[in-house]
Amino acid sequence: MTTDLARPVDRHVAVTTRRRRPRLGAVLRWEVRKLRAQRRTLAVLLAALVLPIVVVVVIHGQSRPPKDTLFGRFAIDNGFALSLLVLGFAAQWVLPLLTAIVAGDVFASEDQHGTWKTVLTRSTSRGQIFWAKTLAAMAFTVLVLAVLSAATIAASLLIVGHQPLTGLTGQSIPAGTSLQLVAVSWASMLGPMLGFTSLAILLSVWSRNPAVGIAAPVVLGMVMQLVGALGGIEPIRPFLLTTPLEAWHGLLAQPSFTGPLIDGALTSGVWCAVSLTIAFVLLRRRDITGG
Amino acid sequence: MKRIVITALAALVAVLALATVVIAASGGGASTVTRGRLEQSLPATFANLYAQHARIQGRTGITPASVHAKAMCGKAGAVGEDVGPGGDWVCLMSWTDPEVPMPNEGYGKFELNVHSNDCFTANGPSKLTGFLTMTDTRGREVTNPLFEFDACFDPGSDSTPSGVVFPSLLTVTSTTVARGADGKAGLQVTCGTGDRGCAGTVTVTAGKVHLGSIRMHIQEETAATLMTPRAVPKQAKEVTFTVKLTTGVGPTSPVTLSVQRG
Repeated sequence: MTTDLARPVDRHVAVTTRRRRPRLGAVLRWEVRKLRAQRRTLAVLLAALVLPIVVVVVIHGQSRPPKDTLFGRFAIDNGFALSLLVLGFAAQWVLPLLTAIVAGDVFASEDQHGTWKTVLTRSTSRGQIFWAKTLAAMAFTVLVLAVLSAATIAASLLIVGHQPLTGLTGQSIPAGTSLQLVAVSWASMLGPMLGFTSLAILLSVWSRNPAVGIAAPVVLGMVMQLVGALGGIEPIRPFLLTTPLEAWHGLLAQPSFTGPLIDGALTSGVWCAVSLTIAFVLLRRRDITGG
Repeated sequence: MKRIVITALAALVAVLALATVVIAASGGGASTVTRGRLEQSLPATFANLYAQHARIQGRTGITPASVHAKAMCGKAGAVGEDVGPGGDWVCLMSWTDPEVPMPNEGYGKFELNVHSNDCFTANGPSKLTGFLTMTDTRGREVTNPLFEFDACFDPGSDSTPSGVVFPSLLTVTSTTVARGADGKAGLQVTCGTGDRGCAGTVTVTAGKVHLGSIRMHIQEETAATLMTPRAVPKQAKEVTFTVKLTTGVGPTSPVTLSVQRG
């Protein structure tokens, strides 16, 4: 998926001319091209690359550790702890925002610019366009997560260092294992992030308004976080899309546990499936002739 | 815009209804935060950190296994169930260190703030675990791993309580006693967190005059005022209280307090 972004743009012309009805790959390339042409896409990727470095430098310069957040206690003198601190913070609202900036706009921008009719005059089905846009948004999610995590981990390790990490059972984890665990922890964000991507797509299709598509998933994420933190209504936690964002804790405990990660993958999958199904039905049944 | 608001409200109502059904179906508030999981997780974390603490001090021979940490946890005092997140969890924990003996009551008190995501922050007793920073073998100020620490436990792990039991600690809080209108004096005591509270007798003497003995039964985590059965003689300068507990632990030697001149 990521290689598609780097490929020269004019390749898709060759593909489309060969067939009368373009395949999904061609439509996808066309959507990726649209994303690449937007300044916003590049700005988000650039922010994902630069902001973690700034955050790492600032936290490293503190004299007292930010110990309110998990791993904050060791963050000023341990690079692994710092990258996990940034992960815990990013999971609160940054990750939903990063994915929603593209996914919340990808359908609604056609409404905003009144281009649905133009798009559909090409010989592609609505289904093909739906899946191409969805795949493009998801590919962007993968890319932005990869950039953000790589920038955070690299900056933390280079600026702060790679001392053994104190895990969540107080155990000391050697540097090599720590790096693996930190990388897997960051990777575990992909499931819930794709869930937020799907949610943003649903809101984008339904509201036909990019502002709703981008802001609503972030707000919903914060509401879910708040609801999940309340005592007394914990049976609802497994159903919230924000719960998988905390599933990585188990990896850093001793003995480590993966129950929350498996549950989280299931939760994210259900959110994706439900959101995308509703979005697909809404788009298929929409009357676009009005423009 | 109106359509969006109406649909959003409808969705919200649907979600709330679903949430109510889920909570009702699961028996209401089946939390993963339980006494048993904390009693397992806290000592395991503490033992690991204690070994790290000893390493920073340059001590050898302290391993997580040699610390033999065990804990008894409870939430919100004597009342209510020991389940659910909150900042009101208290754990009593004992451990073994040949160079640092446990206090008389045999444990240290840890205050836990437990979150719904199965992680908690524990605050230890400073007199046993030290302060925010400590000095390492090279003379540098480093963070004391025991002062305050975070841990997470497996929500799917065994939730059976450890069965460890520690007695409550009875503490005399009065520093002087004062004669009331009827000549009797009150002694203020607190009974700390522990198993079954504090019970026993307090024998009161003023010099060689026996003022009777007080039978008491105090719930854990409460304060009480014990009145002397007979009036304190006017000329008495000091009153001595000898505590004998059948439940809980208290002062081992008699407590002598001076009488306040009114």
